[in-house]
Amino acid sequence: MSATYLAAASVEEAVNALKGGARCVAGGTDIVVGHRQGKKPLPASIVAIHGIDALRGIAAAGAGLRLGALATHEEIESHAVVRERFTGLADASAIVGSRATRANGTIGGNVMNASPAMDTGAPLICLGATAVFQGPGGTRSIAVEDLFAGPGQTVASADELLIAVDLPAPALGTGSAYVRLEYRRQMEIAIVGVGAAVTIEGGKVTAARVAITALAPTIHRVVAAEAALVGTDGGRDAAAAAAAAAAAGSAPISDVRGSADYRRAMAAVMARRAIETAVARALGGQVSIPASTSTFAAV
Amino acid sequence: MAAVESKQAQQVFIRPDGKEKVTGVGRYTADLNLTGQVHAKFRYADHTHARITRIDASKARALAGVFAVLTHADVPEVRYGGMVQDRLMFAKDAVRFEGDIIAGVAALTPEIAAQAAALVEVDYEPLPAITDYESAMAPGAQLIHSDWESYGAEDMGRDGNVLGHSTVIRGDADAAMATADAVVSGRYVADASQGAPIEPRAIIAQWQGDKVTVWTSTQVPFAARTGVATVLELPESHVRVVVPLLGGGFGSKCDFHFEGHVAALARAARRPVKLVFSRHEEFIAPDHRREGMAVELETGVRKDGTIVARRARLVIDGGAYCGEGGFFAQMAAMHAIGPYQMENVSIDSYLVYSNNQPSSSIRAPTAPQACWAVEQHMDEVAAAIGMDPVELRRRTLIERGKASATGQIMDEIGIRETLEAAAEMIGYGQDLPDDEAIGVACGWWPSFGVNSGAYVKLNGDGSGTIITGAMESGTGAVMGLPILAAEVLGMKPEDFSILYQDTDAGPWDMGSSGSQTTFNNGRAVICAATEVREQLLDMAEKELEASRGDLEIADGVVRVIGSPDKSISIADLAGSGTPLLGKGSGDVPEAGPSDIASHCIGDLGLTAFLAPQLITHAAHVKVDRDTGVVRVLRFAAAHDSGKIVNRIGADGQVYGGVMMGIGQALTEGTTFDSEGRQINPHLLDYKLMTASDGPEIMIHWEEVVTPNAGPKGSKGVGEPPSVPTSGAVGNAIAAVIGRHVNQLPMTAERVWATSQENGQ
Repeated sequence: MSATYLAAASVEEAVNALKGGARCVAGGTDIVVGHRQGKKPLPASIVAIHGIDALRGIAAAGAGLRLGALATHEEIESHAVVRERFTGLADASAIVGSRATRANGTIGGNVMNASPAMDTGAPLICLGATAVFQGPGGTRSIAVEDLFAGPGQTVASADELLIAVDLPAPALGTGSAYVRLEYRRQMEIAIVGVGAAVTIEGGKVTAARVAITALAPTIHRVVAAEAALVGTDGGRDAAAAAAAAAAAGSAPISDVRGSADYRRAMAAVMARRAIETAVARALGGQVSIPASTSTFAAV
Repeated sequence: MAAVESKQAQQVFIRPDGKEKVTGVGRYTADLNLTGQVHAKFRYADHTHARITRIDASKARALAGVFAVLTHADVPEVRYGGMVQDRLMFAKDAVRFEGDIIAGVAALTPEIAAQAAALVEVDYEPLPAITDYESAMAPGAQLIHSDWESYGAEDMGRDGNVLGHSTVIRGDADAAMATADAVVSGRYVADASQGAPIEPRAIIAQWQGDKVTVWTSTQVPFAARTGVATVLELPESHVRVVVPLLGGGFGSKCDFHFEGHVAALARAARRPVKLVFSRHEEFIAPDHRREGMAVELETGVRKDGTIVARRARLVIDGGAYCGEGGFFAQMAAMHAIGPYQMENVSIDSYLVYSNNQPSSSIRAPTAPQACWAVEQHMDEVAAAIGMDPVELRRRTLIERGKASATGQIMDEIGIRETLEAAAEMIGYGQDLPDDEAIGVACGWWPSFGVNSGAYVKLNGDGSGTIITGAMESGTGAVMGLPILAAEVLGMKPEDFSILYQDTDAGPWDMGSSGSQTTFNNGRAVICAATEVREQLLDMAEKELEASRGDLEIADGVVRVIGSPDKSISIADLAGSGTPLLGKGSGDVPEAGPSDIASHCIGDLGLTAFLAPQLITHAAHVKVDRDTGVVRVLRFAAAHDSGKIVNRIGADGQVYGGVMMGIGQALTEGTTFDSEGRQINPHLLDYKLMTASDGPEIMIHWEEVVTPNAGPKGSKGVGEPPSVPTSGAVGNAIAAVIGRHVNQLPMTAERVWATSQENGQ
């Protein structure tokens, strides 16, 4: 197959190209960088979607928010509504890669790259986000928690283009957070990450979601951790029990970034910090963004 | 008055290459392109240790777009290497690490070259790979170089896989150990690490007739020239090496590496050939990384802090080839004693071959790891006698006029002063939260006296030009040379241009290594400028009809002292048509004697340190107890580098060196798999510290005007800022978690695991 490059002007044109076997590129921070590092050759046929205006921007959608697929991490982390109501996503968007990555990388690319170590996945799952696709047969929505099929794989078909990520309005009294283990302060990748969203009404946790990152082939929820929170006061003991459950729900590997034993232990630490931060925010407390920084050495 | 002016001039001194680098106008080797150039790629070894039974390059040669494919059969069979000649350009009978080169290809595009390199057919008989370098010394271990005895080599105690063996023996350590109140022992293991320059290396070679010009990102252009001449069997006069701007080296671009391969390819291709390394290649291919090291220490101490004896055994991973790291055994032994007073020492230090990437000089080779081990050990010694670790150092660091542990009398050194300064700057002894602590470490590093040369000429417009063989690797040492010339000639530093990094222009120089540029080339520039000064005075005597004793040179004029109207400008004198040209090299200083060199094995002349640079670092860290992640919050660096010639430049070396040292302390480690392949040869998992990780760094220069040293009593500056850094950080970590981390880097997981073991 000869190499082709198409800069699509519309979603329809892009979907057509995908149907013809092309892979899409937006910020290029995964495909292009991966190629240069020799991880994966560039796809023979590329459709660039960075010029499709319809995919840009962050807008109110009912009581919630719609993130265009081309919304950059920088746009998301600095968006006032995201910071106020979808704080866990702001925590994650603020620490993706480097400053250059955040300026160029998009939420759509981050989600569809489906890395088990990507940062926005856990908070999106905790916040109940859905991914909106357009394919040859029209549009469909898939809950982000159902999207990931394996490392680098999603359940979307190859001719479907992610056009937006929808965030439903969180219930009153909800706080969220994403906390990641970081060996240095910038340019990190998740070695262990945990997202949490907690809703508190009348001093009781009425709903909770906990999702873990880089601890399994896909980012996923840990229901036992959530169950350990619901009905409690969300205090230290509850957070510790939920954190232990999150660690028990992990299946980490050993590699150059850390041993499985260390990762499992860190899963509990990051989960506790994420849950405590989410609880604090649910109760109206201010924990600065990104939570990975503000919870460093938290005891 | 003059001193004050000169200090002000230094404070505003802006290095001449600064603007072009900061604005992106500067051109590095990879930015150059020559008409008709083709592109080079290497075929690397498919095994880390194997016999080669067949190489067939015919398919690669047949690929369209390929201009040349070279293997060992196409170049002279010349073994090379500075101290041990154990390497061939292209592997012939064996491969010994993953970066061994089987073949080089020159092709129309880098992609075609890569395709052709993959088409070279190689058959191997795999051999057991030794990656656990300590096991390379075991009897019966697989030999890395079966023909090691046939190599040309200096006398450095070689034996099979032992590439070097060095001892430091003084007094009677065994007898003295028995008189100690406490004997403390410990074992510390440092992983390999990398220089990790941000510019991956690039080389372009172009032939004109039987002469070749090589543009290359090297720290040592003259060594690169010698290397090309050696392996291609050319006269050195047929090789010209030019270095465009260099994007860092940190030692990794010292020595001769790939210039010969590219020159040979260009000759075969009959075209200019360009090689640009990928980041991956920059990690795996150079025979140049910081050596892994296992250090076993035993120290006997009296209750009053007197160190009665030190025993040590060091094993250093030399990797597959010697490179220019042959002196590591002795250098590491010197750091196993450190800048302390000890009468009885017995150190055995081994440099061994393995199938890992070869080791060679990275910023202060062997020192940071050995110093990290010794300085953590010193804190353990202090604990054993219930003494504050700073107090122990206060009592044991070498006092002025006293002898080092090798019996070298140290007359003008300020190591004790650096201890006090660092402790004061960091606020040693203050109350801190229980997850924070301060650690202190001391170290030393020699200055290197070698030949060096420079020319200084004055131009008709009154400006000057320094023509030097010295190499600017980014440290600013060459950029600071105008300060020295300007002072001699009564001119301003910005009046000078510099012609440098061209082996056809400047005199021979060792290059940017051993912190030696200001030390040796500074001396040469002052000598050359002094010659020009004499020429100016000769001319002015006649022009002003004044006797020499009445003349002074200042503010760009020669004038009669006390009669400011009787003057003539340097521009007028230089513009008169008489050439004003000085040359200089100066006398090379030598280290005073030690009293042990005669009976030490493997002596390469390092038992005494010339103009030793002395350092105390103090780190204030915070440990995240739950994760083991360490952040350095504040840092104090107190250095005796003698007189400081260019303060802003010297400070820059400390900022950079401390950051590099913190990286080596916490996150920078090269990990090899069971066959000696690097697992993390990329910047995502070889974690350099970022600017955001930088602590507040406080600097004190203990300006001991040092006799028998560099210009104005200066010593080296560039390497020491990384030497005791990891020791200081390690001692601070131990003060928080209650136990020393005995592996370097002290990664979060290792800190956490050590803390768990300690029941914290």
